[in-house]
Amino acid sequence: MDTHYTTRHLTRPPLPRSPPALSHRPARPPRHGRVATVGRGGGSGGRKATRCSPPLLPLQAGCVRQRERAAMAAASRGGGGGGPKALELLRALPRVSLVNLRPNPGAKKSEKRRGRGRHGGKKSGRGHKGQRQRGTRPRLGFEGGQTPFYLIIPKYGYNEGHSRRRQYHPLSLQKLQYLIDLGRVDPTQPIDLTQLTNARGVTIQPLKRDYGVQLVEEGADIFSAKVNIEVQMASELAIAAIEKNGGVITTGFYDPRSLEILCKPIPFFLRGQPIPKRMLPPEDLVRYYTDARNRGYLANPSNIPEARLELAKKYGYVLPDISKDELFRMLSTRKDPRQIFFGLAPGWVVNMSEKKILKPTDERLLRYYSS
Amino acid sequence: MIRAGSRLWSRGAAARALATSAGRLGLTEAPVPSPHVVDAASQAEKPPLVTPSAPVLRDCCLAIPSHRTAVQAWVESLRHYEDRHVGLADLHPDVFAVMPRVDILHTVAVWQRNYKRISYAKVKTRAEVRGGGKKPWAQKGSGRARHGSIRSPLWRGGGIIHGPRGPTSYYYMLPMKVRVLGLKVALTTKLMQDNLHIVDGLDMPTCDPQYLADLARYRHWGQSVLIVDVNKMPENIMKATASLKTITLVPALGLNVHSILKHETLVLTLDTVAFLEEKLLWHDSRYTALHPFRLPYSDFP
Repeated sequence: MDTHYTTRHLTRPPLPRSPPALSHRPARPPRHGRVATVGRGGGSGGRKATRCSPPLLPLQAGCVRQRERAAMAAASRGGGGGGPKALELLRALPRVSLVNLRPNPGAKKSEKRRGRGRHGGKKSGRGHKGQRQRGTRPRLGFEGGQTPFYLIIPKYGYNEGHSRRRQYHPLSLQKLQYLIDLGRVDPTQPIDLTQLTNARGVTIQPLKRDYGVQLVEEGADIFSAKVNIEVQMASELAIAAIEKNGGVITTGFYDPRSLEILCKPIPFFLRGQPIPKRMLPPEDLVRYYTDARNRGYLANPSNIPEARLELAKKYGYVLPDISKDELFRMLSTRKDPRQIFFGLAPGWVVNMSEKKILKPTDERLLRYYSS
Repeated sequence: MIRAGSRLWSRGAAARALATSAGRLGLTEAPVPSPHVVDAASQAEKPPLVTPSAPVLRDCCLAIPSHRTAVQAWVESLRHYEDRHVGLADLHPDVFAVMPRVDILHTVAVWQRNYKRISYAKVKTRAEVRGGGKKPWAQKGSGRARHGSIRSPLWRGGGIIHGPRGPTSYYYMLPMKVRVLGLKVALTTKLMQDNLHIVDGLDMPTCDPQYLADLARYRHWGQSVLIVDVNKMPENIMKATASLKTITLVPALGLNVHSILKHETLVLTLDTVAFLEEKLLWHDSRYTALHPFRLPYSDFP
């Protein structure tokens, strides 16, 4: 009993059966040209073709193979009409198994193999005589003895120390609005670099000298979200755009170790180390972070309302009063200068598997972590 | 599959199951197939001998996109060899009706074969072959060709120039989403080519392997069957498949494209279908990984 055909019978209308000759055909039909000339003299190969075992009409065999191949390719491409058509096509094809698989045409390109031609290969892509073929060309940049370009130009420190410079990944207001609109970032909670990383809005690489995120004013005209956001640097117009919508913006410094912990908290918690304290900014950044105009986290809090008014006057908008806001408590949440996470103080150990937080009790440790 | 289902419903053999569920009372007499049925398949089918109870209907737990509808498959049972239409299962189209990418099946099957391969072939170069430090004869005067060592590649017994060098690993990893898509395409292919069967459970009346083999042959399941289950498998089926060569029992975590394509038929339980849908659909709408998946994620299925 031919199970293949009867299975199909039960669940769909019987397919037109292929002629019996093809269903019992061998995998590779013998070619009559080659078989006929073996062991015989030259002469008429055509007449001798009748001597060998009757091969299949090459038209039929080739037809099935080509049809199968074309159909499989069409199924991969989508059947020309989309998913449902391709699936309908698949139902009419032979069972897909390990012997039927092949990559899409053009996917596998065989590599170029040099020096494998007739008579032991020819020039193998090396050219004709000279240094090119003999492989004795001088080094790159050599100009025949003339002082080369890379030596004649004098040095200047354009890129000196470039690999040690701080980098701040730009975050546009447009992207922030996009993330909030899609629900990836929650504006009812303080927005931190951790929230932005969890939302995959930015990708920070602390090991590549990234020191955080800078807020950029692209999209300031369409920005309309009230958020409490903490970034590392922000331009004036970006600060104005956020405050115009009733939000709060702060700039804070994170040293590389704290930044790595902030961006990838889970691997840090699994290490079992206590949360370290955030280090203070280096000398050249102290000025930036103590300035109320940049909304620095080390600035005097009493200077900030003046700075907000000044900015409102400069850009010409009415400064909304956030103390009357229902989310005022959330909007006024700020981190301590030594704190990395909201709600977690330095010195605490987070145990994720047992869902516990361990706090230090030793006096010296408490004094160290609260300094 | 929906068309097949609707066609079968229209036949008398399946219509009385509907009537039974509507009435909630089991018909004790053996129902007669309606005379208007003309398809050869239904004439070959006998009506089930067991008392039909309420049909098992399975809905998709996960949301289906609005532009697509679920694909359907019959739910069968292993309790009796006639239990072929115990119910109807809705399968998620993004797992069981994806684009039939045969080239992805090829990619994943080739990867499965090769990523574990370590070829241990190693041959010695002229430096490693024992001997060959001394110049065999003087440069000039002997009349023979000039040679520096008896183990040069020109010599018999000499070293091999560009032979296999040491254990070579052919390890590479395909992106996770490609492997997931491979599983989806394999499941789709099996379903569309009528080689996928859903079973409500793996409860068997006996542990006789012959019973299982006969059941598979009666239901035209094919030469080889792969049965997949998530939960702990009952003893009967484990004993039955232990001695059978062509019927394999596999936990759901061990499901892979090579095994699916190697076996002619795939049999999944309803729990396995739910498990696979949950695991395979998660990758469609997930963020890129921040840290490796072996570290905890809150929504990792």
